[in-house]
Amino acid sequence: MRISPSEALDALAAASEVGLVDRETFKTTLAATLIKEFRDRPTFDRLFDLYFLDLEALGQGLQKALGPADPRVQDMLDRMLAEEGMELDDLTELLMRGGGSEIEMAIRASGQNAGLERLMYFLQVGFFSRRISDRFDWSSIEADVERLMRLLETRGLDPGQLARVRNYLELRLEAFKRMIRQHVERELERRAYRQGEKLTREVLSEKPLFALTADEIAQMKAVVARLARKIKDALALRQRQEQRGRIDTRRTTRRSLQYDGVPMEIFLKRRHREKPKLVTVCDVSDSVRNASRFMLQLVWSLQECFSRVRSYVFVSEIAEVTQAFNTYPVERAIEWALKGAPVDYHCRSDFGYAFSRFAKTELDALDRKTTILVLGDARNNYNDPQAWALRLIRERVKGIIWLNPEGQWGWGIGDSVMPLYAPACDFVRECRTIAQLGEVVDNLVHRWWRRGR
Amino acid sequence: MFESVEEVQRRFGDARYIASRRIATVVFLAARMGRPVLVEGPAGVGKTELAKTLSEVTGRRLIRLQCYEGLDEGKALYEWKYAKQLLYTQLLRERIGELIADAPSLPDAVAKIAGQEDAFFSFRFLSPRPLLSAILAEEPVVLLVDEIDKAEPEFEAFLLEVLSDFQVSVPELGTVRAKHIPLVVLTSNNARELSDGLKRRCLHLFIDFPVPADELAIIRLKVPEIPEKLAAAVVSAVQKIRAMDLRKLPSVSESLDWARSLVILNAQALSPELVESTLTMLVKHEKDLERVKGALDKVLTE
Repeated sequence: MRISPSEALDALAAASEVGLVDRETFKTTLAATLIKEFRDRPTFDRLFDLYFLDLEALGQGLQKALGPADPRVQDMLDRMLAEEGMELDDLTELLMRGGGSEIEMAIRASGQNAGLERLMYFLQVGFFSRRISDRFDWSSIEADVERLMRLLETRGLDPGQLARVRNYLELRLEAFKRMIRQHVERELERRAYRQGEKLTREVLSEKPLFALTADEIAQMKAVVARLARKIKDALALRQRQEQRGRIDTRRTTRRSLQYDGVPMEIFLKRRHREKPKLVTVCDVSDSVRNASRFMLQLVWSLQECFSRVRSYVFVSEIAEVTQAFNTYPVERAIEWALKGAPVDYHCRSDFGYAFSRFAKTELDALDRKTTILVLGDARNNYNDPQAWALRLIRERVKGIIWLNPEGQWGWGIGDSVMPLYAPACDFVRECRTIAQLGEVVDNLVHRWWRRGR
Repeated sequence: MFESVEEVQRRFGDARYIASRRIATVVFLAARMGRPVLVEGPAGVGKTELAKTLSEVTGRRLIRLQCYEGLDEGKALYEWKYAKQLLYTQLLRERIGELIADAPSLPDAVAKIAGQEDAFFSFRFLSPRPLLSAILAEEPVVLLVDEIDKAEPEFEAFLLEVLSDFQVSVPELGTVRAKHIPLVVLTSNNARELSDGLKRRCLHLFIDFPVPADELAIIRLKVPEIPEKLAAAVVSAVQKIRAMDLRKLPSVSESLDWARSLVILNAQALSPELVESTLTMLVKHEKDLERVKGALDKVLTE
């Protein structure tokens, strides 16, 4: 979550308006000033609970951990202490009477300078619990308890009652120690949460597209959808700017004749607006299956954003899938393109054949406004690359962009014919990770279509 | 304006708007800090209504700016009444002629006319649009910027500028500063991502579908003639339908419509036939309709 200093200041100002009395109100206040995306809300909720412990709820929970309060024992102790005027250690006092939240506060206070910032692994929990626990003066508590018990004895309590009192105090003492450990564990969660989160995001966005699990695919999808949105917004802005222009003197003058030569209505020249035409050609052979899943997601999003997109998939035979991508929701469209499209999925990928077929059948549909986006690894299984077909296509269009899901080091090695195709392309990029895909998409929007106005 | 969150809740309640604690807190903060509120959430949960109620509760005039694709500064801020200006110059042609009659040269004539510019670029010829009206208002107002996500990002940037200073400059007239900072409510259906700047500037409020208890309260409040048992049945059915995977989930306004139509039909309880015949009030897509009809028995179990 990105939070700017001004938002942090807002949060402080807002918090001082509502105060800290009501936990929910405070939480809403922080959320309203800091969290501006709905999707961040669950993360915020978790973080809030970690940082702002619900002492009241915790206290109630701890009260239970302390064992059922025994009002009769408590009463008796109270009375006796008052009569004898016996001074107890603060800690003993807390132990006997304190509610859960007070005890938690005491633990926290002594944990403050126990070096918890070095807490990173679960194995350290024992060490730090001991460290905090050592800060309490257990011997004086024990001495107090012993004194109490002796006192009770002299006052003639029967052994059964004595045992009950001792049991009560010991239970509380034990619970207290348990609470220390719980405190450290919570602290660990709080720290680890942050690091864990950072780690997954970094690793994920640098991970090659073909090595993703189903769960990660779901996360990636969200990222691609966001990128698509970006394109949409950027294009909307550009189209908007293009709608304005200088005064169209011809039309304005012509209309002014109606008003005795006075230019009552003004017409603006419309700047030429180029609607991007996009043709995507996506390799869906088995070798790049996971990568093409993302590429197809991209294709689908592009088709949603741009009005004139035509999409093709190929293994060796090439087929148009525009219609299906327009009608199916994204999931189904991708499944369909990977399984049900009218191409033979069982043969080996053959870029040369696909391009030559494409050049034969679709060349007439291409024009100078068309950009071709090829998504594939250019691993041609030693078939004839037929690079001439790509060159022929290039002559008819505005440009060819090639995104390769394979690392650049592999281009030209083995059956990769990337170097043969590259000269015909205007823009060749390695697109292995989601981070790279993001970069490419930005480039597409900001450089490619802007350049050729 | 408000002393406490509870007061917001109470006064909104008096104005027949059930504000959850969350909503009330954000409204309270907005009023206290003079900050715009950005309200997001599904359609029909009462985002616009929130602004209307706010204006009612505070007794301030509501100025509404409905955003749409193609909205630009001119339509949002101000426009010169170009035709009126022209008409005036035409009518006053002779007066203008007299004015420059004794000018010895063309530059002198231009200078003379320039001296009279103020007559033509004054508030008389300015037609203020919602944003400028909100800034010019003599009394404090509530400004509702509805469906900001429908406008272009470019407009959003411009709006941000207005919202941070509450002043605009009209080149011919100079800078106009707001006498009172208006209470600003922006709503968005999340059709696109809003800019970070705007979000940073605003308090953020997400209104989701209400919890069953609140929805029941809303229905009883807005459709008072509904039998208690029927209202409960409606709420439970709507909640179950919302749990289904539909293209468009029924929102509060739709469940209100449904409740009203059931009252008109004089229904006492929900029967499968009754629900089937009135379902169109609640579910608006053909495919969704089929799906809900297929699961009617599940929807109707208590």
